[in-house]
Amino acid sequence: MHLDKYELKSGEQLTVFEFVSNGINGKIIKLVQYTPTNYKDLYNLGFGDKNIDTGTIDDNVISNNGDSEKVLATVVATLYAFTDKHPEALVYATGSSKSRTRLYRMGITKYIDDVQKDFEVFGELENDWESFKKDVEYLAFLVKRKL
Amino acid sequence: MNIKDINTKTKPIVIIDKSLDFFNDKVLFPEKLAKANEMLKKVGLPKVAKA
Repeated sequence: MHLDKYELKSGEQLTVFEFVSNGINGKIIKLVQYTPTNYKDLYNLGFGDKNIDTGTIDDNVISNNGDSEKVLATVVATLYAFTDKHPEALVYATGSSKSRTRLYRMGITKYIDDVQKDFEVFGELENDWESFKKDVEYLAFLVKRKL
Repeated sequence: MNIKDINTKTKPIVIIDKSLDFFNDKVLFPEKLAKANEMLKKVGLPKVAKA
């Protein structure tokens, strides 16, 4: 995807990423973390804002910083970086709320043709998975880098 | 090719910042992780293609 992205920083393991969203409400530090789950090679994608006053991380906050496309493209860039380093990884992602999950779906839908060149993309239904389809409301998403 | 050109390619440029290794053994989004484990327990995993 040839989209504008924020500069990314990461630790050496490429499991934690930080970038700074710069929009209408100012600068907001964003953190992305790929955390191992109870399943082998399966990582959960966590994403939220860092409160510079308290040092806490909040994945429920709605920043409304006017740069959601650039933020989404940057999160996708972390996915490329993470799966470059961990090519066998499966990555699970869901929103902190239904509406946030819907936002993720809209983002994936918008770029699905590009994303599917490099990743297998699945959507989670109530009791099953299917290959990602547009206009289906999923509970969560799972991606695997095409090797 | 300048820096901006490189940045537009699929492979992102990542600046290594060792201070972020501080978070490696910490779970920053524990509720999300718990939710993921719970949902995966229920539905299992999809069949993914092998290399």
